[in-house]
Amino acid sequence: MPRMALRAALALVRVIAVLVPGNTRAQWTAEWAAELEHRSRQLARRSDSTWSRDMDLIRRALGALPDAAWLRRQFTLDADAVRDTAHGVRMLAKAPGFTVSVLLVFALGIGATTAVLSLTDALLVRPLPLPDADRVMTIWQVNRETGQGRLDVAPGNAIDLVQRTRSFEALAIAENWSVKHTLPGGEPLQPLAAARVTESFFKVLAVPMLYGRGFGPDDYRAGANRTIVLSHRVWLERFGADPSVIGRIAIFDENVPYTIVGVMPPRIELRLVERTRRPEPLIWLARPAFDAAERNNRTQGYWNLIGRLAPGVTLQQAEAELAVLSANLAREHPETNARLATEILPIRAHLAGSLRVLLPLFLGAAGILLVVACANVATLFLARGSSRVREFAMRQALGASRGRLVRQMLTESLLLATLGGALGLLLARWALDTVARLRPPDIALVDHVPIDLRPALIACGVTLLAALVAGLLPSVQLSRPAAARALREGRSSASRRTHNTLVVLEVAAAFVLAIGAGLLTRSFVNLVRTDPGFQADHVSVLQVFAYARQNTPEKRTRFFAEVVDRIRALPGVAAAGAVSSMPFGEAKILSDTLPFTIVGQVPGAGPAPLINIVPVAGDYFGAMRIPLLRGRSFDHTDSAQSPAVVLVSHSAAAQFWPDADPVGATVRFQLLGKRYEARVVGVVGDVRHDTLDRPARAELFLPHAQTGFGSMSVVVRTAPGSPVTIRTLKAQVWALDPRLSIYSSDALDHLVSRTLTGRRFNLFLLGGFAAATLLLASAGVFALVSFSTTHRLREFAVRMALGARRADIVRLVLIQAVALAVTGVAIGAAVALPLTPMLRALLFGVTTNDPATFVAVGIALVAIAAAACYLPARRAISVDPSLVLRRDT
Amino acid sequence: MNFTYPTTLVLHALANGFRHGFDIIDATELPSGTVYPILRRLERDDLVTGDWEDHVIAREEQRPPRRYYELTAAGRAVLAEARARFRVPRSIAARARRLRPSESS
Repeated sequence: MPRMALRAALALVRVIAVLVPGNTRAQWTAEWAAELEHRSRQLARRSDSTWSRDMDLIRRALGALPDAAWLRRQFTLDADAVRDTAHGVRMLAKAPGFTVSVLLVFALGIGATTAVLSLTDALLVRPLPLPDADRVMTIWQVNRETGQGRLDVAPGNAIDLVQRTRSFEALAIAENWSVKHTLPGGEPLQPLAAARVTESFFKVLAVPMLYGRGFGPDDYRAGANRTIVLSHRVWLERFGADPSVIGRIAIFDENVPYTIVGVMPPRIELRLVERTRRPEPLIWLARPAFDAAERNNRTQGYWNLIGRLAPGVTLQQAEAELAVLSANLAREHPETNARLATEILPIRAHLAGSLRVLLPLFLGAAGILLVVACANVATLFLARGSSRVREFAMRQALGASRGRLVRQMLTESLLLATLGGALGLLLARWALDTVARLRPPDIALVDHVPIDLRPALIACGVTLLAALVAGLLPSVQLSRPAAARALREGRSSASRRTHNTLVVLEVAAAFVLAIGAGLLTRSFVNLVRTDPGFQADHVSVLQVFAYARQNTPEKRTRFFAEVVDRIRALPGVAAAGAVSSMPFGEAKILSDTLPFTIVGQVPGAGPAPLINIVPVAGDYFGAMRIPLLRGRSFDHTDSAQSPAVVLVSHSAAAQFWPDADPVGATVRFQLLGKRYEARVVGVVGDVRHDTLDRPARAELFLPHAQTGFGSMSVVVRTAPGSPVTIRTLKAQVWALDPRLSIYSSDALDHLVSRTLTGRRFNLFLLGGFAAATLLLASAGVFALVSFSTTHRLREFAVRMALGARRADIVRLVLIQAVALAVTGVAIGAAVALPLTPMLRALLFGVTTNDPATFVAVGIALVAIAAAACYLPARRAISVDPSLVLRRDT
Repeated sequence: MNFTYPTTLVLHALANGFRHGFDIIDATELPSGTVYPILRRLERDDLVTGDWEDHVIAREEQRPPRRYYELTAAGRAVLAEARARFRVPRSIAARARRLRPSESS
């Protein structure tokens, strides 16, 4: 990758350019950049290995250092600084272990802190690209029953809210959409993500258009031309950034002409749908007038509301008004809205998503990591400082002033901090990119987070300070004769205590973070092992909304029966069915939780019991492999004309028929205005519904033929190796009705896995911190033990001369490390116990003080500490006692 | 001033038409960290002048403009003196013949 090498070489030159006097720096950098550029072209023509070419470029770039140093010396005539740097580089190169450890520590500490603080800044502080963004609100539905919030709004409710509210100067409806874009030649391109919006949408955003205009009343008049607004990206990629696109016609879907009326400025991120990883809209369509089906649909939420508060209206006032409005809706439509409330969320809070709640946790983790990094840098410098006492004493004896020695230390620390900081920034960039890649779908704001240099500087400063304090101590102490003697003989007990305390602190901090990561890991494993009640592999799901096109229950019954039959007839399809409320499906059915009564049972006090009523068609249970526990399943004899029958789920049976067999019982309920009196014919297994961590709900299934429900998810199980793809399935639906909208389509295991994205993300972040801290702590133990082993070589030699065996010496080395680690673990446990309840909301199937996790992490830490002794211990036993004893006597 | 052998090599390369820093490195086979400080010193002492090449050339080769160096009259005199002291390898002249058509303009 010659480009990589060139980029690295150029970066190197830019870093070195700092040395060049300011008045010629730009020219100097340009000269080096041009030469390197030229060289890399020249090399690209050569046939030798890329590695040697890359190295050639880097070696050339390194020559910039003497060049820059020469210029700097000419400029300042400051030979000392140059000499100190040169000496520093030589000394650091002579101690590669120390240099690499310090660089690593600097990089981890600075990188992690910078990444987390940059994230915080992006989510909570950085202004959004909308004017007065804190007045822009999103509105969601809440299921009061389950407490589940941030649900998409059902069309009927959305229309009513928009018409009735007075709190917003503009409140718009957006509906996710996608269009096939066709070039004038008839060539279809990749489909574009789109949003169909109402007139006030661009008034809510209030962003000046780059070109053209937003939608106005004319775009919504009956018979008006269809109009669209382009996002900056689409304008760039599909329309060649041509300002004259305004007024031009673009062809979408099947020969539908749209007039382009506007182009949005770049970087307006408005991902309103949070649960799915749908891309941000690329074009906006002026939506047609609401139809009757939409006005009456209060059960399927798939619309989004975004509004701008009217002048003078506070968030609280808007909340109060919406509470009244949704209470009114609940009164007017008790059957669908009784359990629904609305919530209002500022756009920033919405875009920050679930990360907003977790940020304090990650800030804490970054803080711990920074403290550990400081402790580690201090440990390393302490060790190095006292091992260089001889060098400093010699230089002092030869006439170097104390100030000169201090400056030498300063130069070395600065050198390390600069290089480490640069590595840290690279690490932070990588971390931010990874965050953007792994993020759960609801955190839209983290996609292009720039590195915030302020925290980078602060983190660099803090670690540098730790390095300086620890590094200067020995050289300062040198001037005190008593201390100097003590240092020459070994270490002062004060410095040994400081050293031990620092390492214990590191182990304790690593323990706290590792416990957090351990608990999250266990939760994740528990969750993945949870049986959802169905088999998710080889199942495809298509969510089909048929209300608009199939306008009577009879038509809908026939339509879905035909879809299922056609698909079932495909080769390679094992079973096919359909269900109204799809487990882990995309659009949520909001209010199918309805009251019902059991005939013959004496109703208790209070309201009637509630149950989720779910129409199913075809062989839904077979396609999902949901077991039939008792009685019979539905078959083709259960039609609109035959007596009503239902199946209940296992938990419904346990809840409502605690000591009786539900099969044969009769239940009464009402669905979409129709009364049912139905016989229970069987019991099926429980199924987890939205997430794996919530228990199965009580469900009551009835044959689709007896309801004519209009929005169903078609569920298809294919045989392994079957050629059937989602595309072939869609083709079957469109063969019956080519204009029908398929809301979403996906593989079921993917839908299930999607619900784990958030946990995976948390695990990545906290696990990353824990791993980094663990690495630092083990480096700390290693530094301490190898340092003290060096100083105890004489002692070991004496012991061996007196008959100690190698095992005894190894034990001596190990005991020191293990004692420190055990102390650290004990302190860490004491700190972690009161902290872990903060994680409670993230845990699943494990308690906050899970003994297994605590013990396992403790043992792992002690083992890591012991492993860090391997090299020092080998060194201790491999010395020849006679040599050590003869030295220095 | 003191002429080291590397300084002489650099002067010789310049006299043979190697004008850019990296071309001089190629011709003399000295490391970049040696050649550049020598060029800076020669420029400071007015034995060499440096300037930016024409934008037209850079645009043609689709890269940023490079800086080139030329011997001054004083530089030429110094080179003559230095040649008397050191034997300059023929390889530079040979390489100059080989490289010039494609590499320097």
